[in-house]
Amino acid sequence: MNVPRETNLHMTSGKGVVYRASWLAWLISLFSGVGGLILKVVLLSLLNGLVGWTIIVLFTQDRLAWALGTAAVLAVFDFIYLRPNKLLPAKFILPGSVLLIAYLIVPIFFTINTAFQKYSTGHVLTKSEAITTNIEQNVVQGEKFFMMTPARDASGALVLVLVDDTSGQTYLGRANGLEEIDPSSVQVDEFGDVLPPAGLTALVGDELFGADAELAAFEVPLDGGGVIRTEGISGAYESEPGFEYDEARDMLIATDTGVEYSDNGRGSYVNPSGDELVVGWREYVGFENFTAVITNPLVRQPFLRAFVWTISFAASTVLISFAIGLFLAKLLDKPKFRLKKMYRSLLVVPYAIPGFLSLLVFKGLLNDDYGLINKLLPFDAPWLFDPWWARLSVILVSVWLTTPYFLLVCMGALQAIPAELVEAARVDGATRWQVFKKVTLPLLLVVVTPLLIASFAYNFNNFNNVFLLTGGGPSSDDQSVAGATDILISYTYKLAFEAGKGQDYGLASAISIYIFFIVAAMSASGFLRSKALENMK
Amino acid sequence: MKKQVAKLVAGLTVAALAALSMPTTSGAAATLRIWADADRKASVEKVAGVWGKKNGVTVTVVQKDFGKIRDDLKTVDVATAPDVIVGAHDWVGELAANGSVIPLTVSKSASAKIPSYALDAFSYANAKGNKVLYGAPVALENVGLVVNTKVAKVPTSFADMVSQATAFQKKAAGNFGLVIPGGDAYHNYPLFSGLCGYVFGKDAKGNLNPNDVGVGNAKLLANAGDVDSWNKSGLLSSKVDYGIAKNAFLAGKAAFWVTGPWEKDTLDKSGLKVKIVQMPKNKCDSVPFLGVQGFMVTKFAKSHGVESQARDLVGSYMLSAGAQTQLSSENGRAPANTDSAAKIDDRLLKEFAAAGKGGVPMPNIPEMSSVWGDLGTAWTNVFKGADATSAKTAFRTAGKNIKAKIG
Repeated sequence: MNVPRETNLHMTSGKGVVYRASWLAWLISLFSGVGGLILKVVLLSLLNGLVGWTIIVLFTQDRLAWALGTAAVLAVFDFIYLRPNKLLPAKFILPGSVLLIAYLIVPIFFTINTAFQKYSTGHVLTKSEAITTNIEQNVVQGEKFFMMTPARDASGALVLVLVDDTSGQTYLGRANGLEEIDPSSVQVDEFGDVLPPAGLTALVGDELFGADAELAAFEVPLDGGGVIRTEGISGAYESEPGFEYDEARDMLIATDTGVEYSDNGRGSYVNPSGDELVVGWREYVGFENFTAVITNPLVRQPFLRAFVWTISFAASTVLISFAIGLFLAKLLDKPKFRLKKMYRSLLVVPYAIPGFLSLLVFKGLLNDDYGLINKLLPFDAPWLFDPWWARLSVILVSVWLTTPYFLLVCMGALQAIPAELVEAARVDGATRWQVFKKVTLPLLLVVVTPLLIASFAYNFNNFNNVFLLTGGGPSSDDQSVAGATDILISYTYKLAFEAGKGQDYGLASAISIYIFFIVAAMSASGFLRSKALENMK
Repeated sequence: MKKQVAKLVAGLTVAALAALSMPTTSGAAATLRIWADADRKASVEKVAGVWGKKNGVTVTVVQKDFGKIRDDLKTVDVATAPDVIVGAHDWVGELAANGSVIPLTVSKSASAKIPSYALDAFSYANAKGNKVLYGAPVALENVGLVVNTKVAKVPTSFADMVSQATAFQKKAAGNFGLVIPGGDAYHNYPLFSGLCGYVFGKDAKGNLNPNDVGVGNAKLLANAGDVDSWNKSGLLSSKVDYGIAKNAFLAGKAAFWVTGPWEKDTLDKSGLKVKIVQMPKNKCDSVPFLGVQGFMVTKFAKSHGVESQARDLVGSYMLSAGAQTQLSSENGRAPANTDSAAKIDDRLLKEFAAAGKGGVPMPNIPEMSSVWGDLGTAWTNVFKGADATSAKTAFRTAGKNIKAKIG
């Protein structure tokens, strides 16, 4: 069977194709001549200005790699667009390629990079940040708290005017030590603010704002080994360091007990008895996240059930939607069908409503006792409360959401099948069913199979449908963490973000890479088969 | 020609750059950025504005969805990051472990006015097991048992509540006795604690211990038969969701409703005669989860050069009775400051506060993320009606799963 590849739209229209000067052509013509040159110069300058500004912002935020990368891209743009009439194809390819890299390649690279890191709650900082944060969190607070006013003496040195919160004793705190002064020399005004004694000027306004870092780092040494640190702009407290960092040995050492916390190579400081410090950092850990997925009993145990359900969910959603969509398209394909346009519009409605809205509405409709659907049905079905019914609900709602897509696709594809072929088959004595089975369907599948595969891959990771309708529940018969309707992606969401200690981005990235390979393998085998379909002709 | 074009582009580039970088070079005066949710934005603006005027600091309040405040803090750029955030106490463990918020020290005169559990709620244990404070508690909230006094009396005992509820439910079709959102571990907590359930135990120093999971503890399992009987009698059903519960109570079709002060305005406007109490003691005290909201200083305040200012606003000003009274009157929550709390004159707010007596702050350690889902599922399963799981099995399973997830 040899089928012409042109669509019948061209063949049956009979008229020659007329090219009208479209708005696109008009747009292109804008770029020629002197006016065009000015336009091009202005646009390129604007691009340079915008991106240049971005680079400056990136630099000021210490994103050196990003700044250099952006600068390199900008240089490529300038090079290509500033060479008249040379590299013409590159001028058209470049913007698309840059967007492809920015929105597709970079996220993929980012995911892979994350998958090899310990990156989770408690492991988000850099190592040096983690060291200072741990020291800061483990400062031992002393008994005393002071009302405080920062001031400067005649030489400009910072002096804290301190009033003990409980005893009312007054002090001056300097970088070289604490000095008790006569309480009568210090006044407290009606707001509770401490006024400095004669010879000192209180820091106010811009002076105070400018001294922020100085104030936060200021320490008044005490005889016992502790220090007085400021708390804000009107308080200070006695404290002792809880940890000291030994740079040479890369260890945090507890000042009171001498216990040593050393780098465990997995983004944490750990003491010999295995206690981790609260704050860790991001660290490359090799394949740890990948092996964790395989060795974790929480993953292994329900994996097969969740996997089988994911495939059945995706496959049945796609096949049922396709079958119904094709059936409806075939109905609407009849030329004499009355009110065709109205039906067509109505059938596309589920596609036009945002999916998450439909899902939430369905969640209400499917409520066992109070939902509309059970009120209309002669029997009460436990739509969302029984594992099997819940699976059915998820499939039904997904079919509702997917069918209009296949209706549209099939309507288009059916039109593209030459009427002559169908007529010829009918003349040869084929029944309607035979025509459909032997002529229409195979031709249709050539067009639709890639879309079926794409839709399957999409539904394989259709997090929204499951999460918004059932939340993965109800609990399955095997009582595991994975609910009865949890597909792989919703289950792994639970593992990565609702288990353990908060969120685990590294684990989530590793899992998404696994899922990528599963979907890729299945899509590849699907495409190989669709190639076989194409060879039929 | 080519060179001229290049020169032109270069010149215009500089001009565009200059124009674009103008706004970034100005703005040296001290500004403090606060992230707050829609409910609190106006009140925070007002209260922090008073502080700002006194200290000469410009305060900008940026509106965010409440949950987004926590999420966006992870990804925000330094340039647009907040110096102070409004948040819930149960975020503290995660934020502290991530180093996103910085420790505070408050004066004894200020902390003496705040209930110790509220301060503990905003604290997280450090390596030495000491509680480190990360926020200033300003508002308290908890669920209470709302009684429709037209159709039921304030229950004198747990058994009295159950019998009144059952009697009212049988009175007419479509009546509910006691409505609690199904499958919701937060709203069901008074039932849970009444049966001697708890989420995490405490270690010797009084810090939450993630290895002591009390979902499925022996006492709870021994008392679990009660739950099965409530399911059997139809007193409670997991098919009742938040909307159904609320509508039923507002329509006068439910005798008791478990809800919190966020419904105060609804209750005020409903025209119903209500009284709010703590759910009566069952086997143990039926206490609710306590939620504490407050302000925290982020690590970004340091790089923005407003650390001292932010500490003053949060650790000193926001704890004062004056600030808390105003915040409370604007957003309808009981203030944490006891002087300020003593001045509340709203009856319902007072009753909600009293219903929280002896309550348990929601655990603020990051391991809590392992709990909500499975405990909620257990509540769904025990009140499923005819094919419900026995409470003993459901809670035991939930406990087992939670332990496995914490690892």
